[in-house]
Amino acid sequence: MSTFIKDFIEKEKMNRRNFLFASAYGLGGAAALGALGPSMARAALTDPTIAWSYRNRTNPYWNEIVSGGEAFVESLGMSKDALTHLINEGSSEKSLADVKAILAKTDGNVALAIDTNDAPNARPVVESVAEAGGYVSTLWNKTDDLHPWDFGDNYVSHMSWSDEGPAEQTARILLEAMGGKGGVVHLGGIASNNPAIERLNGLKNALKDYPDVELLAAEPADWDTQKANQVMSAFLTRYGDEITGVHCANDTIAYGVLEALRAEGIEDMPIVSYDGNPQAVQLVAERKILATVFTNPHWGGGITAALAYHAAIGTFKPSEEPNEHREFYGPTIMVQPEDALEFKANYLDSVPTYDWTDFWGPSNGPIIYK
Amino acid sequence: MATTETTKTIGSGFPIGRETLVKWAPLLVLIVLCAFFALMEPRFLSTRNFARILIAASPTLMVAIGVTFVIIMGSIDLSMEGAVSVCAVAFAFCFLWLGGTLASWAWLALPIAMLVGAAVGFVNGLIHVKLKIPSFMASLAMGFVGTGLALMMTGGDRIRIEDELFRSLLTERILNFPLMVYVAGIFLLIAWFIQTRTTLGRNFYAVGGGEDLAVASGLNVNRVRIMGFTLAGVFFSVGALLAVGRLGIAETATGNNFMFLSITAVVVGGTALWGGIGGVWNTLVGVLIVFVIGNGMVVIGLPGYVQDGVLGILVILAVILSTDRKSISFVK
Repeated sequence: MSTFIKDFIEKEKMNRRNFLFASAYGLGGAAALGALGPSMARAALTDPTIAWSYRNRTNPYWNEIVSGGEAFVESLGMSKDALTHLINEGSSEKSLADVKAILAKTDGNVALAIDTNDAPNARPVVESVAEAGGYVSTLWNKTDDLHPWDFGDNYVSHMSWSDEGPAEQTARILLEAMGGKGGVVHLGGIASNNPAIERLNGLKNALKDYPDVELLAAEPADWDTQKANQVMSAFLTRYGDEITGVHCANDTIAYGVLEALRAEGIEDMPIVSYDGNPQAVQLVAERKILATVFTNPHWGGGITAALAYHAAIGTFKPSEEPNEHREFYGPTIMVQPEDALEFKANYLDSVPTYDWTDFWGPSNGPIIYK
Repeated sequence: MATTETTKTIGSGFPIGRETLVKWAPLLVLIVLCAFFALMEPRFLSTRNFARILIAASPTLMVAIGVTFVIIMGSIDLSMEGAVSVCAVAFAFCFLWLGGTLASWAWLALPIAMLVGAAVGFVNGLIHVKLKIPSFMASLAMGFVGTGLALMMTGGDRIRIEDELFRSLLTERILNFPLMVYVAGIFLLIAWFIQTRTTLGRNFYAVGGGEDLAVASGLNVNRVRIMGFTLAGVFFSVGALLAVGRLGIAETATGNNFMFLSITAVVVGGTALWGGIGGVWNTLVGVLIVFVIGNGMVVIGLPGYVQDGVLGILVILAVILSTDRKSISFVK
């Protein structure tokens, strides 16, 4: 009896020791593999699932983004249903869960284009994809310390937009139209939104060169037409004829401003705006708005999917590309009265056919961190 | 004016100091606010600024009057955002389809939009009464249905109404005030007439003041409720028409913010959320308070980031001053 127990304990000891050895070896092996980089595990994929993860389609902006993704998939000779849609409805948790689900389903055979909903969510998403051997390109959201080149080939690229420069350009057009003197008011987006901050900064930068123009007020109008209408009305009470120009953070705000002015019988106030919505472009053609900025979301959505896909099938090797091909700004097109109709015909009335292998042609230089 | 009417209707007017004060408090709050803003910035008192405040307030006034009837009944209607959107979009589609100018058959789009509003309100009332779903839930859900319908019809696009004749609501002025302000005024008088001179109006108070009593007196409470919601729907649609007239745009977002603004205005005006007290003049004062605050804060140049907080505090203050409900409900 006692010998039996003794033997048993002895045997168990051995087993445990072997198990520990085995685990140590296993961990070491895994670590060695990790040191060589995940790209070693799988150099290129064949026929990866192409997926776009985004907020939802009811928003016109994201609708444009995804239609670009679909156009890219169609350019590969597939039906547009071949694009897998991961819809996060504004939840970072769902965004990450969706990504993990599709990685599990396809065993990492994925080319993923994604806006991770918020910046902190980008890291877990990218790490999950890289670990599974998939390929990911991000749009808009990521933290400043997360870079594609830290993940070998699997984190292909990141694209974002900086609105400060273009907003400064529209501001200069406005200030010139005002004759370099008078008073300007700014109606902004939701005060804490990054684009709202950048667009106001653009105006402030331009104002430095126009000492005779006073920034009378800058109020948030929350990207909302009705709120903009009311804020502009109140500005008219406070400043009256002192206002000789209006800088709007986006087109929906400009619509509300135009109507507030129309109610007072003011028809010739210089106004600039942002986003390049079709109706705003029409108003630019009619010279009711002097300039707006188009960021081509259709191209942005298509090229983000194209980058992930072509990196995945090995058309190009991301790690051999310079950094400005991995983190770059998206395109911005200034729309002014002279070219508004031509622009509308080329970009809005019919969507141009893009070369989805011209990855960086329309892009706008490397991302600069402040 | 406001209080004498409601006093008569409720029949609870003991001219005791404190109660009279509570009754007049919303108007006092409005006057104090105007005086304050005028002191800070004299231009606040200009006729043109009052025209601006009234332009901004007109659509909300219509929506708030609609919901006032429902609140007097002791129910609540939260469908206004969806109802306004769907009415605005339906109007825009019909208007453009029938010719695109008021000088043609397109004027039919106006009554059509009001019918759509009535239909939304009617369904709302039916769901609330027949399925016995609390009104806040039934109407909130109906509001989402309306928003969804509007989104389906427009696909997220904006529809522009450019007709000069329709836009004259905003651009034509009589005595410095645009036509839409007069239209809102006429509908305010209609609402006042319904409230004081019709059986339906009195029945709203009967239901809100004591439903058991109303039932015992042989009143068909369900019918009154459904009619109340339908009437509210019609006023929502008028609000939608004025909103489209003001901006020249009909879209899913046309209904945005109406819920907060109208409910706040009704409560600030002194209409009790549990029914039986208040009326359309209270609502007029409430709407004016809300829009005077919004306009005044920009006019005196309060920084944007403190405006929301100040609005919230002023609303709470206005409610505290204008409601001393406990004593009133005991008096009842």
